[in-house]
Amino acid sequence: MKNTFSSKLFSHVILILASLMFLLPVWVIVASSTHLPETIVNNGLQFFTGHNFINTYKSILFEHSGYTKNVTAFRMILNSFIMAMGFAIGKVIISSMAAYAIVYFRFKLATFLFWVIFLTLLLPIQVRIVPSFEVLADLNLLNSYTGLIVPLIASATGTFFFRQYFKSVPEELLEAAKMDGANSWNFFIDILMPLSKTMSAALFIVMFIVGWNQYLWPIMMTTDPQYSTILLGIKEIYQSNFEGTYLPEFNRAFAMTTLALIIPVLMVLFFQRLFVKGLVDGDK
Amino acid sequence: MKSKSLLFIATCAMALNLNATTDITWWHAMGGRLGEVVNEMATKFNNSQNEYKVTPIYKGGYEDTMTAGIAAYRAHQAPDIIQIFDAGSATIIGAKGVVYPVADLFDKYGVKFNAQDYISGVRNFYANSKGRMIGSPFNSSTPVMYYNKDAFKKAGIKNPPATWEEFEKDAVLLKKVGYIGLSQSLSPWTAGENFMSRHNLQMANKNNGFDGFATKLYYENPAMDYHWDKLRDWTTKGYFKYYGRGWADNQQAFYDQKVAMWLGSSGSFGGLRKGAKFNFGTTYLPYWKKFINPGAQTFIGGAALFVFSGKSDKKYKGIAKFLQYLTTPKMQYFWHKSTGYVPITKAAYALAKKDGYYKTTPDAEIGIKQLSLPTQKWTKGYRLGNYVQIREIMTIEFENILNGKKTAKQALSDVDRKADKLLAKFARTYR
Amino acid sequence: MKKVQFNNKFIPYLFVSPQIIIILVFFIWPSVMAIYYSFVMQDAFGVSTQFVWFQNYKDALLNSDYYASFGFTLIFSSLVTLFSLSMGLFLAHKTNNMIKSRGIYRTLLMWPYALAPAVVGLMASFFFNQSHGDIYRFLNQLGWKFDPTSDPFSAQAMLVFIASWKQISVNFIFFLSGLQGIPKSVLEASLIDCKSNSKRFWTIIFPLLAPTTFFLFITNITYSFFDTFGIIDTTTRGTPMGQTKTLAYKIYQDGFLGADIGGSSAQSVILMLFVLVITIFQFKYLEKKVHY
Repeated sequence: MKNTFSSKLFSHVILILASLMFLLPVWVIVASSTHLPETIVNNGLQFFTGHNFINTYKSILFEHSGYTKNVTAFRMILNSFIMAMGFAIGKVIISSMAAYAIVYFRFKLATFLFWVIFLTLLLPIQVRIVPSFEVLADLNLLNSYTGLIVPLIASATGTFFFRQYFKSVPEELLEAAKMDGANSWNFFIDILMPLSKTMSAALFIVMFIVGWNQYLWPIMMTTDPQYSTILLGIKEIYQSNFEGTYLPEFNRAFAMTTLALIIPVLMVLFFQRLFVKGLVDGDK
Repeated sequence: MKSKSLLFIATCAMALNLNATTDITWWHAMGGRLGEVVNEMATKFNNSQNEYKVTPIYKGGYEDTMTAGIAAYRAHQAPDIIQIFDAGSATIIGAKGVVYPVADLFDKYGVKFNAQDYISGVRNFYANSKGRMIGSPFNSSTPVMYYNKDAFKKAGIKNPPATWEEFEKDAVLLKKVGYIGLSQSLSPWTAGENFMSRHNLQMANKNNGFDGFATKLYYENPAMDYHWDKLRDWTTKGYFKYYGRGWADNQQAFYDQKVAMWLGSSGSFGGLRKGAKFNFGTTYLPYWKKFINPGAQTFIGGAALFVFSGKSDKKYKGIAKFLQYLTTPKMQYFWHKSTGYVPITKAAYALAKKDGYYKTTPDAEIGIKQLSLPTQKWTKGYRLGNYVQIREIMTIEFENILNGKKTAKQALSDVDRKADKLLAKFARTYR
Repeated sequence: MKKVQFNNKFIPYLFVSPQIIIILVFFIWPSVMAIYYSFVMQDAFGVSTQFVWFQNYKDALLNSDYYASFGFTLIFSSLVTLFSLSMGLFLAHKTNNMIKSRGIYRTLLMWPYALAPAVVGLMASFFFNQSHGDIYRFLNQLGWKFDPTSDPFSAQAMLVFIASWKQISVNFIFFLSGLQGIPKSVLEASLIDCKSNSKRFWTIIFPLLAPTTFFLFITNITYSFFDTFGIIDTTTRGTPMGQTKTLAYKIYQDGFLGADIGGSSAQSVILMLFVLVITIFQFKYLEKKVHY
């Protein structure tokens, strides 16, 4: 590879510029959240951190000022967390079970059911959003964690992920287990799933982020602010800023934004390898 | 002995019963400071008695609140009271059986109520064609004009323009001293619907929709064509500027002293007073002398409170009480003073006058005075379906006029044509 | 399929039933309802319903708004896919060539994946805002009369930019992974055959990335069609003049905000058919791929 110094330098410059393109906007928002609202209105976004950190964050996390601001950011983060956890765990369990059945069993409806699962890829949420509301209302699942989590966990991506992986597991494993007298349940619980630990963790990480970042579904399925996720919280605060006639409290909007993005970003950074594995190995 | 313990038990039972308050939920769209005043009023009511507890819940803007209300109703989880804005009135009133008309509610639960107590401009918008009120007007405003007194002084103009003809002359002088003449917010409201009312022009067939589901819109007419071509003309001459769809953006231009006059809401003066670094005054919405003289009444914007059907007798009793409480002169005056929305009853208006409020705050009276002008044939407002979408079309076509892409006649004809389709669809849905 | 399997009749159904049940209740049932609703006209509150055959479909397809939305969706997806795919590939290639700093750059360029489209949109709305936004000011200083609130082109360009910005990391991750999956032997052989860097890239490396590219192509299209909802809802919301609505966003607006359940359901069904076509196309290609 003809790696002259100048071409190497060029690559570095490009990569650094690209990194800044991503880092700067987000950093500026985070930094601005630590300033007073007046500073932002008068001087625009800030690059360096200010002194209003504790005040701002304390107020949005714990302030619960009467009727108008119905719920604290703390509560919203909790809701987001519950939703993301429930979604990710649920997905891992349900998808692994379904994939197991399809890969390791010969049964009559196997192909048919596989296609039913596949069908979910054809029905993205926007297509079924309006009737979904009615279905959840009829089942009394609006404004509930169940309603927020369960309907989303049945999409095909997780099942295909595990199917792919299970297919790559050597045949000998099952042969050996059968010889040892293991039944299908034992095999699944004691052998296959422990083997799939890494893959499950990888899927979990990816799905946690997907669950945390859900936007349209919580908007539609919650009418009670007690069930708002943090993403909805930001939307409300930005809206009141741009539509109101009072001094916009941008610092609070930015603080909420920071809270909304900090968890997924940290997860991606700390579990980088797992995350990439979950993404890349799963969708091939 | 026995009787003592019985008495004790009975007293406890009574005490427990007394503490069983009936909850009334109220979904509203009043954010920020307005929301705080809403909460204050609810708290005042709750503290004044212990049978009912009203809980206001902020649901976002007008559209979001209505959307939430629709969704909740479909899920059989509707609140008790909901605040619905002018553009949504046809949707909620047209759906048979969804709301309990307040006139009927008041009659049934013994609340004395006379529609004539309401200021004329307020009375008709949420009533049926026979004058029976379906929704209870809550936050009412009307478009008025704000003008920069300092700018006028600089330009040598003594009085703000009462007519658009006068405006044109003033704009020339204002331009000389560096001001654009005018900006306006929410054009469909300030320079569409209320323009037509001010000139007593019919908006739609079926008596503006009050007599049935309207199917034809009449926004293209000589006066509207003339006015909007003028706005385009003034844009090129630097007498008028459009700062986008945002209410705040057009207001900001007045605030920043880029424009000398601004068409806003009768309630806007509060926010302006707080931060404006110049002297400003409030005056009536101008009109074209060549089309009408003097200008006619405008009607209310804002929203009303509607009561959902299917609730318990007990709740309705409480709701009736609460609505009555909100319309007492004292509470109306409080709401008027705290928010800038007009007092909706004549009694409340009289109270404010007696209190000398308008001596200290003359801005606040302009809206009421404009609404109190005599009612004429076409100044009652409108009841049109799919109106949110129609307003959207209006905004788009207005932009086409101001950009020079279409003449007013073309653009407004397109508004009528597209709106007719939407109106027809709405009517079909309710057959 | 596996050669060694269980022959249990009952157990597999047990394993697969949770997913199937959820699919039936929350995917199939609402979709059937959507089809039903596409044939009726109903008022917002659901008190009066009428069967109208294909009227909703006619209304949707004969509507100029629908075509505006359709056109925008196609152009938008093409541009976003083009920009974010090429940028992603470019950055992945450069990163892959690094030896020592590969890990650092990978971290620096992949984390934006964690940002929700809605979060990105909200942040962007500030930067592009006419009163407070630095980018707005900057573009106007450059001479472009950039104004997303009244000029459709500005708004559309802004959306393309934001959506691409968000999607670059996704493509980056996959391309990097794909590049790293190319066997060293192939790379070494290519060094001998091709002297020019770019020729080597386009004739040898890129074709090997074809499966990844194809996969990402589909992913990006899906993203632009559906997941950009969060971005649109927090920035333009379809304005100005309704020129920034993707088909998916229009369904939401008409159905929820416009309370037109019949019309939006008809649009959903049309969109469903479109997705079906794309998926069939995708699967046909994948089947070919099996013989790679």
